[in-house]
Amino acid sequence: MSSKTKLADAAKVIRSKNAGPLLLTIDVIFEDAETYDRVLASGILSAEAFAGLYGVSHNEVAVMPYAQALAVKITLPRLHRSGGPADTDVYGAQQHAPVLDLEF
Amino acid sequence: MRLMACSGMIGYGFTEVAFRRGLAAGVEMIGCDAGSMDPGPYYLGTQTPFVSEQATRRDLAIMLEGAVSAGIPMIIGSAGGGGSNAQLAWTRNIVEEIAAEKELNFRMAVISAEPDWDFLKARIKAGKTAPLGPIDELTSVTIDATARVVAMMGVEPLQAALDGGAEVIIAGRCSDAAIYAALPLMRGHDPALAWHLGKIVECGAQVIEPRVGQDCIIGTLGDGWFEVEPGHPEKFCTRTRVAAHTLYENPSPSELKEPSGILDSANAQFEQTDPRTVRVTASRFRPADVYTVKLEGVRRAGFRTIFVAGIRDPILISQVRDFTETCRERATNDLAVLGIDATNAIINFRIYGEHAVMDSREPAVAGPPPNEVCVVADVIAETETESRAVLAKVRYSMLHTDFPGRLCISGNLAFPFSPSDISVGEVFDFNIWHTVELDDPLAPFPIEMVDV
Repeated sequence: MSSKTKLADAAKVIRSKNAGPLLLTIDVIFEDAETYDRVLASGILSAEAFAGLYGVSHNEVAVMPYAQALAVKITLPRLHRSGGPADTDVYGAQQHAPVLDLEF
Repeated sequence: MRLMACSGMIGYGFTEVAFRRGLAAGVEMIGCDAGSMDPGPYYLGTQTPFVSEQATRRDLAIMLEGAVSAGIPMIIGSAGGGGSNAQLAWTRNIVEEIAAEKELNFRMAVISAEPDWDFLKARIKAGKTAPLGPIDELTSVTIDATARVVAMMGVEPLQAALDGGAEVIIAGRCSDAAIYAALPLMRGHDPALAWHLGKIVECGAQVIEPRVGQDCIIGTLGDGWFEVEPGHPEKFCTRTRVAAHTLYENPSPSELKEPSGILDSANAQFEQTDPRTVRVTASRFRPADVYTVKLEGVRRAGFRTIFVAGIRDPILISQVRDFTETCRERATNDLAVLGIDATNAIINFRIYGEHAVMDSREPAVAGPPPNEVCVVADVIAETETESRAVLAKVRYSMLHTDFPGRLCISGNLAFPFSPSDISVGEVFDFNIWHTVELDDPLAPFPIEMVDV
């Protein structure tokens, strides 16, 4: 039996925010080490996956696990610079939704 | 030694209970960050604060009285939000008014953070600047197009002010963590612990539960460790929040770049020593080969006017993208009659209900159309007059242009407000987000000493 779990049902925090006006950073934080390890091992939080989700090259995506906080940080370029003429989300706080639906 | 961050931001507030308890615990300095670039380029561009004067005055008054009565230094970083000279002067003025009103006397350092443009051009020519992320190399042409640029000071200007006898420091753009690392580093504390403590406390109550607004946080530095606890007796610092804090608004989860090196908390240990207190050990600091500070600059992009309107007609909603493009064309033609070249303006239709939040990154496949959508018609032109003229023609064309199958021939938009057209203000864009190498960490940060 292989039933898939949505990341939104496994993570404690899934958030996006600016890391400066040029970069968007997405944090996925887990409650327990077992889930953290399982999600990491599944490979769904890969540079390639985020490149596909956000329409950037995988070379522009950094995926950085941080075991001390049971967290995975994903940093990639913003679509528009924060607060510039074409920007849609000055704080970058509502760019995380596509990550909720990832499955492992 | 013990120190206290009063709030994540001057004007975001803190409780007096927490503040008094911190003072009673024997803190040896208090501080507060006052700035951020997160609200966008407008505030640096116009040199205006993004918190109210009333809120700023309230927080500063309690801090000043407390610091002077306890005889401990007080440091405010990134004054006025962007840390530019006018924002620094705004903050200084409030501090001087509070001092006069409460009859407080102290030696104050005011440290500005707007580097001289010729200095910057000389550094560019010498190859001493570098992009800090996906942005073009810095050139003197970029500098000339800039409305305002600030440099983010490290601990050194703050330490020079403390050495000069400053009891209160009002600093322009400043590293948040430097506010709290400056004094411990002068006293010979481990740079890794001093910087890590600074990073944890600079956001104030971010690491405190329950999350009910901003408040004071107390940091204690020992030999090989530091601890953080809330000022408020009924709040808690939790291991989880403290460990996760280096993630926040930072491109890396565990590395924090400061002018003199990199704080590396990848192997840091976090321990809940009692229900309210977290102890941190084993952070590292890697000194940099060259001393660099961050430059933040903005250029003016024009003047923005908008209107907000709803569309409820399902026939129009089904073809709204085509419709807005028709209206753009009609408005452009109407404007040409007035002698206005609308191609010089940016006309952007932000349609909420139709991927206005994620733009071209929206992955959701088309579902059933929404019952209603919100249109924000967004015009940026060189002047306010031109921007309003373009928006007025866009409004007229959207209200009254035909579309296939149209039945609602008396008007296409539901305006919630009269007047419909809103002058939002100047628009800026970050055009400088770079580092510059400095031979002297004090050079771009002149210090003025004042006896208040």
